[in-house]
Amino acid sequence: MRRRPGIGGLQTAAAARDQYRLLGENVAKLRTDLMKEQLSTFRSQLEDFARKHKNDIKKNPAFRSQFHEMCAKVGVDPLASNKGFWAELLGIGDFYYELGVQIVDICLATRPINGGLINLEELCKMLSQRRKGAREAVSEDDCLRAISKLKVLGSGFEVITVGKRKLVRSVPTELKKDHNEILELSQAQGFVTVEEVERRLSWSTGRATDALETLLDEGLAMIDDGHRDGKRRYWFPCVSSVSSFVASETL
Amino acid sequence: MAGNWLLPAETTTSGRPVLRPGEVESSLQPSVDLLNEENPNLPPLKSGLLVLTTHRLLWLPNPESTTSPAASAAAAVPLAAVVQILHSKKSIKGMFASPRVRFQVSITPEYKVQEKGSKFTTITLVFRGKSDPDSFVGKFWEAWRGRAWEGAVSGSDSGPGRVELGDGGGSSSSDTGLALKMPVVGLSGILRKEQEMWESTDKSLQDAFQDLNALMNKAKEMVALAEKMRQKLLSGSTSQANAANDEEMGSKEEMQDWLLSVGIVSPVTKESAGALYHQELSRQLADFVKIPLERAGGIMNLIDIYCLFNRARGTELISPDDLLRACSLWEKFNVPVMLKKFESGVMVIQNKSHSDEEVFSRIKSLVQKPDALKTGISATDAARTLGIAPAMAKEHLLAAESKGFLCRDVSPDGFRFYINIFHDIDPNDAYLVKEYGIYDAWIRAAIASR
Repeated sequence: MRRRPGIGGLQTAAAARDQYRLLGENVAKLRTDLMKEQLSTFRSQLEDFARKHKNDIKKNPAFRSQFHEMCAKVGVDPLASNKGFWAELLGIGDFYYELGVQIVDICLATRPINGGLINLEELCKMLSQRRKGAREAVSEDDCLRAISKLKVLGSGFEVITVGKRKLVRSVPTELKKDHNEILELSQAQGFVTVEEVERRLSWSTGRATDALETLLDEGLAMIDDGHRDGKRRYWFPCVSSVSSFVASETL
Repeated sequence: MAGNWLLPAETTTSGRPVLRPGEVESSLQPSVDLLNEENPNLPPLKSGLLVLTTHRLLWLPNPESTTSPAASAAAAVPLAAVVQILHSKKSIKGMFASPRVRFQVSITPEYKVQEKGSKFTTITLVFRGKSDPDSFVGKFWEAWRGRAWEGAVSGSDSGPGRVELGDGGGSSSSDTGLALKMPVVGLSGILRKEQEMWESTDKSLQDAFQDLNALMNKAKEMVALAEKMRQKLLSGSTSQANAANDEEMGSKEEMQDWLLSVGIVSPVTKESAGALYHQELSRQLADFVKIPLERAGGIMNLIDIYCLFNRARGTELISPDDLLRACSLWEKFNVPVMLKKFESGVMVIQNKSHSDEEVFSRIKSLVQKPDALKTGISATDAARTLGIAPAMAKEHLLAAESKGFLCRDVSPDGFRFYINIFHDIDPNDAYLVKEYGIYDAWIRAAIASR
């Protein structure tokens, strides 16, 4: 057995350890702060270069790939063209194409949350955040213009109006799985209401209404406004026969 | 075997060259012959696609002109083996012949192209297409002088371990590493070292971003620095969760987001591919969509692909029109993906295994199940069984109906589809039931339900 050192010795050792730890923490904090600072310099410089030397960067394939790697690694969006005079006037140039790519990017990233339906206002806000390096703000009108450029690629991307709000739908009906979920839900009673869909699947109002309206248009749903509680019911005869439910209701 | 004096080159299934890490395409030239005039015994490579990259000169056979199978191997000349690029002599004769470019490469005594070979030979490139050999020679010189392959040999250029930015590995060690070193160097020593490290990083940042040329020269260093910062930020904010404020978390997420978006190191551009732009773009796209398609279950909206593809290309955006054109060229190549347009105007990219024939055969087997023979199927049933959206299922059912596979029944319960047994009914004798036909199966099912 080793002889235990005296209390005084223990305390000194503990104090020293504490001081080392404190210093280590300080250094680590300082290091993090410094790095953040350097990172932000790095970012803003890259953003500047992406804007100023766009064409020169494009000309040199080897450097271009290195530049992209840098941008990707520190989180800079290399798409940062200014709108410019001609883009504003005629809608030409890279500006609207860039916006288009960024818009679809945001829609893809938020799809797990919103099911491919996003408020135009929200989209615009996220877009501005992403382009915070660029000097010009992006208006809703710019967004709409950029979306219209995507029309060539089919009608899968559209702006719809629900109530007073404008929503951007990025998933075409043909690829939408929301409808399957509603049909699944309706199996219990044969019908669903908007409130029920929102509550059970925790969707936004726009998402539920849009999906139900589409099912109505497709001829899969039938509406019933005549119920006592005044809530519109969407019946799905395809899920199970209407007659069986009519019979059970009258009993 | 043709071309075995050159090095073999790999190609993807759609016929694009497989590039090495860090290798970037700089120029593509159609219908180029590659031959050795000094040694006529070596079979010439005729009328192929010449690809100049930062590392190699690749010759790919033309898929349309199917010559002997032996000649269809892709070949490569590493730029490291190039000894000299010869100036082309301008002459009256040369004005009428196809333009030629000659260069010397080093070879082994066995006549194989190799870096630091003991002998030399001259390779001649003959440009048969309407191309611009002068600009090609310019790019050839640039790539050869650039010596991009040297960096790749001397160590992993993107590995975080090989960063020489004045921190000498001290920064990569965590807090415990720092504590262990403390008695050795002394506290002030460590602090001084930290200080120096930050100053040197600051300086190199400043130097690199002076102007574009400086950045180009320091590009590799800056890429390494970017990687290092990313690593530290990602690891840093997990280890000290208490220090991570909202802003930091935000930037961390941002970085992870972005990591997904790097993909195509060497995008096909109008400048590098020239007249071959759409063709090569189409091939590159076909190679690219495989992975996202697989993730999405074999079918994807064209607009999603547009975004992903452009993101992978970085600043080299392509327009929607170019994308559409690239997709429409797929019919000509042997690629496993296809473009499909729905009645509604929606366009999707799908695997060929999702093609109509495949879906029809699945629908046919679905409607021949005993229950379906009795009561038919609705779009909802098909959607559930095929694992697709109801609108799409309906589209498929209507298409199958128009092909004569199905019959519809319209009732208050909506559309229901049944197997079409009219094929089995003999118009001269409607009561004749062929044994083991669909008609027979249907009758059995109908009787069983009573």
